[in-house]
Amino acid sequence: MTSAQILFYTFSFFLVASSLIMIFAKNAAKAVLFLVLAFFSVAGLWILLEAEFLAITLILVYVGAVMVLFLFVIKMLNIDKSTLRAKFAGYLPLGLIVAAIIVAEMTMVLGHEQFGLNIYPAPEKASADYSNITILALQLYTDYVYPFELAAVLLLIAIIAAIALVHRPEQNRKKQDISEQVSVRAKDRLRIVSIAKNNKEVNND
Amino acid sequence: MLENYLPIVVFIFLGLAFGAGPVLIGYLLGPSKPDPEKNSQFECGFPAFDDSRMYFNVRYYLVAILFILFDLEVAFVFPWAVVQSQLGWFGFIGMTIFLSLLVVGFIFEWKKGALEWE
Amino acid sequence: MGFWNAITNFITQTIPWFDGILASIIIILIKAFALIIPLMLMVAYFTYAERKVIGYMQLRLGPNRVGPKGWLQPIADAVKLMFKEIIFPTKADVYLYLLAPVLAIAPAIAVWAVIPLDADLYIANLDVSLLYILAVGSIGVYGIILAGWASNSKYPLLGALRSASLLVSYEIVIGFALVTVVMIAGSVNLNAIVEAQKGSILHWYWIPLFPMMIIFFISALVETNRAPFDVVEGESEIVGGTHVEYSGMTFAVFFLAEYANMILMAILAVIMFFGGWHSPFEGVPYIGEFFSWVPGLVWVLAKATFFMFAYLWVRATFPRFRYDQIMRLSWKVFLPFTIAWIFVVALMTQLKIGPWF
Repeated sequence: MTSAQILFYTFSFFLVASSLIMIFAKNAAKAVLFLVLAFFSVAGLWILLEAEFLAITLILVYVGAVMVLFLFVIKMLNIDKSTLRAKFAGYLPLGLIVAAIIVAEMTMVLGHEQFGLNIYPAPEKASADYSNITILALQLYTDYVYPFELAAVLLLIAIIAAIALVHRPEQNRKKQDISEQVSVRAKDRLRIVSIAKNNKEVNND
Repeated sequence: MLENYLPIVVFIFLGLAFGAGPVLIGYLLGPSKPDPEKNSQFECGFPAFDDSRMYFNVRYYLVAILFILFDLEVAFVFPWAVVQSQLGWFGFIGMTIFLSLLVVGFIFEWKKGALEWE
Repeated sequence: MGFWNAITNFITQTIPWFDGILASIIIILIKAFALIIPLMLMVAYFTYAERKVIGYMQLRLGPNRVGPKGWLQPIADAVKLMFKEIIFPTKADVYLYLLAPVLAIAPAIAVWAVIPLDADLYIANLDVSLLYILAVGSIGVYGIILAGWASNSKYPLLGALRSASLLVSYEIVIGFALVTVVMIAGSVNLNAIVEAQKGSILHWYWIPLFPMMIIFFISALVETNRAPFDVVEGESEIVGGTHVEYSGMTFAVFFLAEYANMILMAILAVIMFFGGWHSPFEGVPYIGEFFSWVPGLVWVLAKATFFMFAYLWVRATFPRFRYDQIMRLSWKVFLPFTIAWIFVVALMTQLKIGPWF
C-alpha cells in the first residue's frame, strides 16, 4: 500500500467511525463533537484529492460556523429525552422508508456506470506551482457566474427566512439610541428657574 | 502539495499535546482533596436555586444563523479577491451584483430590528 | 529556507540512514519546538510585561519581588499553578470539561505552522494559508462554548453564550477586512502577501487600507477577549465567565491560549498591513542599505511588539464596553463599512490608483 492509500483508509475509518458514534451518542454535545471529527476526516480526504480550498472552506464554514450553531441550539433546548424516545417508535417506519429511498438513489448515482474510473479517470498529480484557489476562482466567476449569482439569491432568501422564523419584535424593549443621546442639548434636560433675590419668606434656619 | 500538509498534521497533534500535557502535569503534581463544598458549582454564597441549563434569549440563535450566512459570503468572496485584478470589470460587476443582494438582506435585517440588543 | 535547511542538512549528513516519512516528521518536530518554546517564553514574559506596563500606567510598581525586578514572576506563577489542585465540579461533564482547554489551545498552536517570520522562516507554506488561519482560528470558539456548557454552572454558561456570539460576529468582520488585503495582494498565501508589499514603507498596505487596519486591530481585541471588550470575563458582571470553574493547570491552559492568540494577532496585523519582514527603511537611500543586514525576524518582532504594547495600552486606558454596544459596533458599524471598503478597493484596483496595485 502506498502512503496515500494508508492515509485514505485512515481518514475513511475515522469518518465512518465518528459518524456512527455521532448517531448513537446519547449526549447531544458529544454527538456534535464527533460530527466535527467527521468533518475533519472529510477535509483530510479532500486534501488527498488536492482540493485544498474546498477542504479548508469545509472546516471554515461547517466546523467554524454550522457546528457552532448546533452547539448553541443544544445549549438552548432543554431536550427531554423521554419524549424523544416515545416519538422514536412512531417515526421509525417513515424514517426507514426515507433511508431506503436515499440508499437506492445513492447506489444509482454512485454506481459503476456513472462514476467509474473509466468515465472519470483519477486526476493527474498537480505541478508544484498549481494554485487550487486561483483555478477554481477563474472558473467560478466567469463560466459559472450565473450559478454564483443564484447562490447570492439563495443566501438572501435564507437571511429573510431566518429573520422571519426567529425574530419577534418585542414590546417595550429598552434600547440605546446613540444619535439621540449625542444630539441631546442641555436645555432639553435642564430647566433653569430664576428665583427672586430678596425672598423674605424663606428662612434658612 | 501534500507534503505541505505534513507539518499541519504534526502541529495539530502538537497543539493537542500542549493542551493535554499541562493538564496531566497539574493532575499528577497537584493535591486532590475533594470536598462537596469545594466541588459544588460557583454561586454567590448560597446553594444554587435551580439547574444551570436554562433557556436563553432567541437572539443569540439569530446571531448564530446570520453568522453562518455571512461566513458563507466570506467564503465566496475570498476566491474572487484572489483573481479580481485578472477578471477586470466583468468580475467587478459580478461581485457587485452578489454583494448588492447581500446588502439587500442586510438592510432588511437592520430595518426589521434583528440587529437590536436591548 | 536558510536556517531550516541548515538543520535538515546537518541531520541528514550526520546520520546517513535517516530518511523517509519518519525522518521528515522528526525534522518538523524539531522545527516546531524551535518555534513553540520561544513562543511559550514570549507568552510568559508577555504576562509579566502586561503587569509591569499597566502597573506603571497606573502609577504602581507591578511585580518586583520574585527575582531582580520581578523577572522570575512568570516562572513562579507557572510553578505555582502546576502544584494547585484541579477541581472537578460535581455537576460537570468530566470529559468535555477536560476537553475544553485542549480545544482552546490546539488551534492557537496549530496556526503557527503557516506564519512566516522571515522570507525563509516558516514551517509550512500552504497555498491558502490565510484561509487556514481563519478556519483553524474559528475552532477556538469550541473551547469557550464547551467550557461553559461542561461546567454546568450559571456564570460560565452566561459567559460562554456572550463570548461565542461576540467571537462569531467579529469573525465575519475580520473575514471581510482581510478580503481587502487579499484583493490587493492577489493571493491568500501569507508569504505572497508580504512579498507583494516589497518596496518601501509606502508600499505597505496600511496606507490604502488604513480603516481596515483599525478595524482589524479592534476586532483582534474582541477575538482575544481583551479589555475593553472582555465581557466574557467581565469580573464585575459574571465573575470570571467561562473560567469560573477551572483551577490550576486547566485554567493556565486557557490563559496560555489567550496570550498565544494575542501574539498571533499582533504578528498577523504586521504581516497583513505592515510589510511583514520588510525593513521600514527599505528603498530609502543610504539608511536602507545601512539596515539591510538586520534579519527579517527582528523587524517582524519589533513591529509586533508595538501592537502588543498597544493591547496593554488600550487595556489601561478604556473602560469596559457594554455587551449591546459591542454587538452594535460589529454589525452596524464595522460590517457595512468593510463591505463598502471592498467596493472602494475594487474600484482602486480596476482604475490602478497608487503604487499598491
